[in-house]
Amino acid sequence: MSEKYKFDTMSLHSGHVPDKETGSRAVPIYQTTSYVFKDTDEAAALYNMEVGGHLYTRISNPTIATLEQRLASLDGGVSCVACSSGMAAMHLVVTAICSSGDHIVASNKMYGANINLLQHTMTRFGIETTFVNPNNLEEIEKAIKPNTKLVFGEVIGNPGLDVMNVPEVAKICNKKNVPLAIDATFNTPYLMKPITYGANILIHSLTKWIGGHGIAIGGAIINGGNFDWGNKEKFPTISGSHFALNGISFWEEFGPSALTAKIRAEGMYNFGPSLSPNNAFYILQGIETLSLRMKKHIENTKMMLKFLKENEAVSWLRHPDLEDHPDHKIAKKILPLGSGSIIVFGIKGGRDAGKAFIENVKLSSHLANVGDAKTLLIHPGSTTHSHLSSEAMKMSGLTDDMIRLSVGLEDIEDIKIDFEKGFKAAAKISSKRS
Amino acid sequence: MYKDFKGNKVYFSTGGLNLVNDKETLCFVHGAGQNHYSFTQQIRYFVSQGYNVVAPDFPGHGFSEGNQTTSIEEDMLWLAELLAFLKIEKATFIGHSQGCLTILELAEKKPELVMGLVFVAGAMSIPVNDFLIDTSINNPEKAYDLMVTWGQDSYGSFSISDWPGHNHLAEGNAIMKMNDPSVLSTDLKSCNLYENGKQAASTININCLAVLAKFDMMTPLKKGLQMVENIKQCDYKILECGHFLPIEKPKELNALIKNYLNS
Repeated sequence: MSEKYKFDTMSLHSGHVPDKETGSRAVPIYQTTSYVFKDTDEAAALYNMEVGGHLYTRISNPTIATLEQRLASLDGGVSCVACSSGMAAMHLVVTAICSSGDHIVASNKMYGANINLLQHTMTRFGIETTFVNPNNLEEIEKAIKPNTKLVFGEVIGNPGLDVMNVPEVAKICNKKNVPLAIDATFNTPYLMKPITYGANILIHSLTKWIGGHGIAIGGAIINGGNFDWGNKEKFPTISGSHFALNGISFWEEFGPSALTAKIRAEGMYNFGPSLSPNNAFYILQGIETLSLRMKKHIENTKMMLKFLKENEAVSWLRHPDLEDHPDHKIAKKILPLGSGSIIVFGIKGGRDAGKAFIENVKLSSHLANVGDAKTLLIHPGSTTHSHLSSEAMKMSGLTDDMIRLSVGLEDIEDIKIDFEKGFKAAAKISSKRS
Repeated sequence: MYKDFKGNKVYFSTGGLNLVNDKETLCFVHGAGQNHYSFTQQIRYFVSQGYNVVAPDFPGHGFSEGNQTTSIEEDMLWLAELLAFLKIEKATFIGHSQGCLTILELAEKKPELVMGLVFVAGAMSIPVNDFLIDTSINNPEKAYDLMVTWGQDSYGSFSISDWPGHNHLAEGNAIMKMNDPSVLSTDLKSCNLYENGKQAASTININCLAVLAKFDMMTPLKKGLQMVENIKQCDYKILECGHFLPIEKPKELNALIKNYLNS
């Protein structure tokens, strides 16, 4: 009989039991490209995806499989494919499902690279995207066309922190027979499991809170196993005949895991965005403390929100846990433990004041990442989202004075002191102007 | 592969290939509340080994339409008619759980169809407790969860899988959710009603194989061993896993079936 372990236990144990030969308690790093076949029969079975196992690390690897199985169990998915980055994960999902002539409906408040991929790269391959307000249910439903193959959004938008009403969007997708793919990076399974709200596919950047230490880039696709891909005309890549493997239909042969089978057989095989076993190991170390870290992230975020709210240098403050956030009600419902540890705020004095602030903090690091154990800062308008047009930036809710803060695990009193130094420098710029 | 059979669209997996007349046929028979996905890691493996494979979704299960059968005897008749429809004169039958009852019944009533028998996590009778039957009627999803949890060994708890990235507890649930919600309770009642297993087992005159699970909580090992004792020539192996043996120990099961077929 199996036990249904709880989150903290799964974080430590899922996907691994002590190694039978060596007794290794930790997950071994299988730093190998390939695996010796027992015989030609086994080799053929592995190549043909008839049975499970490993043949080449571009496709799968035992250390990576442990990570995948841990992620699938934490999010309640039927299967998972880990890959080289969150963006690789998104690309794998889009290309597994969509072909030239297909259409996607996506949130217009997403991470800039997500928007870029859909707006600029995929259009070159004949895949069009209609961008919609993630919280305008009517707009989402209207945007879905007969050739729409995917609805895509983020639970918590980056960097605007809009919260998508996942349960309601999932209902629309279900009605329209379109899979709902959700980037769940900012919430992690600790704060919310979108599959339980009806989402079908999850994408994680493992680089962020899941890894948590800023030492390894990685991504993952988690398959909810709760979407019917049986319509061959609509989803030919999943339920139609595959170009290899004797022309099988992934849907008929793999059922709930059809999507991940397709991704492994085509995406990992033909594109090759594999995760390194070492990075899988690092990320696994992060997962072991995910709930501890997330609790502290949320605790520190609450204290920072109070601090920033009361600080005169701050012109505006945004976080879904604040009552004045437009999505506060939905955040409270679907993110009861907290809406993540990203805070965005404006500094009085605009762009130059923002620059002065960032250049005068010491503990808080100015860099292009979030979800690290350390407190991180960035000015999105000049960095992560600088490649977006003004119009696209405005649609994403960006302003010149906006600072994105990823609250870390330090003693928050030290971060407050650090911020005071930054605010002092910003105030000098601000007062010079006035 | 889909066919119109007895007025309904019926699905049976052939591993993606067409059936070929001169090949030996293996017929995989799924258990209660399951469908052909129970045998994902067997179907295409044995197709590659040179066999015709037929793994049907019984009516109302998986992709097959039609009214569900309500007894093991009906299951057996439906299966025999399907094989006749497919012009398959003889096959080796591999049953899992309830599927073992179906092939026991087939062995007694239609011995001319039977070339070989493999019983996977099976027994001569599968009494089901009232609690599980009631739960399957009133709250099917809870019943799926109970069955998947009871049905897998402790490795299920740890998401251990030969199949990279798979979480078998969730996948088992998803497979059962693909069926109509009434399917599980009807199947469990069929199992509960079936009483002819011992008689059927005693009539078998061919070499059989039973692959049993040491930690089986659905069809306990001792019941599987009783079945072995009642069949004249039944070799058996015990694997260290739970009831969902085809998923938990796919390679070991495949090797045992392969040896049996070659013997």
